[in-house]
Amino acid sequence: MDNDFINKWKSQVKKGTLSFIVLNAISKKELYGYEVIEIIKKSTDIEVAEGTLYPLMNRLKKEGLTTSKWVEQESGIPRKYYMLTDKGKKDLMRMREYWKQLEKSINKITNNEI
Amino acid sequence: MKFKEIKFEDINAQRVYENYINNIKNVTKQLEKSDRLEVLMEFNSHIYESLQSKKDKSELAALLDSIDKLGSPEKVLKPLIAEKSLEKATKSFNPLEILKALLLNIGNGLSYIVFFLLYLSLGTFLFLIFAKLFNNNVGMYYRDNKFQALGYVKGAEYYEVLGNMFIPTMLMVAIGLYILITSLLKLKKAIVT
Repeated sequence: MDNDFINKWKSQVKKGTLSFIVLNAISKKELYGYEVIEIIKKSTDIEVAEGTLYPLMNRLKKEGLTTSKWVEQESGIPRKYYMLTDKGKKDLMRMREYWKQLEKSINKITNNEI
Repeated sequence: MKFKEIKFEDINAQRVYENYINNIKNVTKQLEKSDRLEVLMEFNSHIYESLQSKKDKSELAALLDSIDKLGSPEKVLKPLIAEKSLEKATKSFNPLEILKALLLNIGNGLSYIVFFLLYLSLGTFLFLIFAKLFNNNVGMYYRDNKFQALGYVKGAEYYEVLGNMFIPTMLMVAIGLYILITSLLKLKKAIVT
């Protein structure tokens, strides 16, 4: 199958950018888990097993980039909201800068300027 | 914060749901209580919210859809469990827990394989202690004032140097090595994460 390579490559790119996407998503306002997934699905075509988001959220929290809080709901089933910490905001800025640089370099290469 | 079950009108949906919840509980058994509750509540909330957005479907169809997309707990929670169990094991200094946690982490990098092998090498010293109990010839052998072997070597030119101190010495070495490796493992975790 000639698409095998491309599919693998795509899934690697998605995996590699997922934390960047998640951090961007919660940078505008605090979101609960399901919302994060909905936003990712709407704004990208990423199809990850939705459950894998939670280990990722846990890691971001452990790295000190995000915090979370449980908020009671009328249904009795609380939502866990995620938000960026100050460190998370700073790190996201640096990640965005890096992303822009990367974009430029990729554009150069794909336009045969090198 | 407490875990509250979702109630379904459809019995079959209820069964599928309870099955999935039990599955999560089973997979997270080795985590600490607070982590277990956290994971359970988070997945429960996810299921609940996704059901709210699928009101047009039947309960069962919506639930199956939601669970399918979440993925099986065994698979999606694996990285989380590997990480958490190592955290817990290095806190407790419990050798069995550490071995288990290392096994879970073997896929996460070569260094864990090295740690695993180091832990296994600890077993050698413990084995020597047992060997000494059954065969008094086991010992630390020298030849011409140079270390030759741990164990049992035949030949007049070899001589044993530890005597009755063999078992206490092996025990001390094993304990020392154990503390050293576990501390290194802790240090590694502290640097990486």
